Amino acid sequence: MTEQAIYFDSSKCTACKGCQAACKCWNNLPTSYELNSAGEFTGTLQNPPDLLPNTRLIITFNEKDREGKYGVDWAFGRRACMHCSNPSCVNVCPSGALYIDEETGLVTYDSGKCIGCQYCRAACPFDVPRHTNVGLTGNNIKINKCTGCVDRVKQGRKPACVSTCQPGALQFGDRDEMIKMAHERVDYLKSKGFEQASVYGEDQMGGTHVIYVLKYGLDQYELPADPQQSGITDALGVLKPLTAAAAVATLAGLGISFATGVGYKRPTMRYDEANHDVVDADTGEVIKHIDREAGEL
Amino acid sequence: MAEQRYLQRHHKQTRITHGIFVVSCIWLAISGLFVFIPQLSVAAGADVAQFMRVTHRIVGCIFILTPIASALISPKAAGHFFKKYSYKWDADDKEWMKKFVPYMLGPKRVHMPDAKEVKSGQVVADGAIMVGALGMMISGLMLWLGGVFAADATFMSVARLLHDIFFLLLVVFVIAHIYLGAGIFQPYKGSLTTMWGDGKISESDALYHWGKWAREEIEEGKIVDAPKK
Repeated sequence: MTEQAIYFDSSKCTACKGCQAACKCWNNLPTSYELNSAGEFTGTLQNPPDLLPNTRLIITFNEKDREGKYGVDWAFGRRACMHCSNPSCVNVCPSGALYIDEETGLVTYDSGKCIGCQYCRAACPFDVPRHTNVGLTGNNIKINKCTGCVDRVKQGRKPACVSTCQPGALQFGDRDEMIKMAHERVDYLKSKGFEQASVYGEDQMGGTHVIYVLKYGLDQYELPADPQQSGITDALGVLKPLTAAAAVATLAGLGISFATGVGYKRPTMRYDEANHDVVDADTGEVIKHIDREAGEL
Repeated sequence: MAEQRYLQRHHKQTRITHGIFVVSCIWLAISGLFVFIPQLSVAAGADVAQFMRVTHRIVGCIFILTPIASALISPKAAGHFFKKYSYKWDADDKEWMKKFVPYMLGPKRVHMPDAKEVKSGQVVADGAIMVGALGMMISGLMLWLGGVFAADATFMSVARLLHDIFFLLLVVFVIAHIYLGAGIFQPYKGSLTTMWGDGKISESDALYHWGKWAREEIEEGKIVDAPKK
């Protein structure tokens, strides 16, 4: 199997959220009972407002004035794992729970191996991974994010979200074909006057396995312009070997110190309060200089 | 030879506080390694690593609350603790610090000047441990509460970076602290009981390590009973 990708065409999406529902059904994820934005009416149809421990995929909504022209640009976006070719989450995962499926290139995980450190969430430039059981004790925290339905894909089926998309905004197939299709669609959109239309995901983070056709400007979608692995994540990678080296160097230095101290002896001292002198407890001689320095008699 | 006299180096509350702090510190180091070293979590399995991570939070609370509780029980002692670490260094203190590394690498040929109750080197080393512990407490709380309240990625990354930096600092200074405090270094033999025994130190050792302090204590008549054998 060659590298696969999920294709999302925002110009065809009707924001029915069938993909959100299909994702929950296939992955057996419950839905929160709380209202959008925890009960406050915000005027958006985006619900829930962001990814949650039980929500791996959301459709985003964004309205923008057309600067003097009639109407608004109403952008429907998709927010879920981008399945990077060089995923920061996999790079930081200490337990090997997160990994790239070699056959498809999709970034998936073995929740049985997840130790609940949540490093993946902090490392992801798209702020995607979420975790269940995040509480005060942190007992049994487990990652929850889009797996690209790699289990379905291995059985020759499409990801759940793709399988349910009625307008055909979501497609799935060879990554090269998805990229080709995306460019053709963007060319078409541009020819129709959508000058800011673009392909997203072809090069970001080493190339992602989710390819977006963005109908409007990037600022109308909840996507970073230039996603990068954080410098902090790089620094964390350096700190581990550095700490090990520091521990070894300290032990080595103290080992040398120990060797030079073997056989060290000094006389038992006593303080003579009357004369304000420190004296040798055995001989009574005044001690001015307990250890002799190199070169001294 | 006249009978050896003894001084009280550390009181009971100090020793208990230090003891709880040390045990919790060791457990935090062990449990933290299950996240810090990937091979360890893989070898132990996710369930063990999850358990270790939960205990890391519980013991972390003990680690944070122990010095606070100790200071609240005896504010006067807490005040003295900080005072004895924050004195102005004189020529002897500077010379002690300057000679520290040559002394560690050749105690038989380097004479150290007399020290106060806390040596200048102790101010640096213990100070580093205190800064490191405080840093671990703050960054640990950031990681814990940042996770609970879903703080943003940058906040969590910075917290983790700080936690790892302070861990590195502690690795170096705690190893050195154990080496000296436990008396593994030959000239420091006998130091262990000052914190892990009855808190007493022989007059001879006290004169060697903290000459100025020892003389003051003896002149003030603060001689204590010899340790029970």
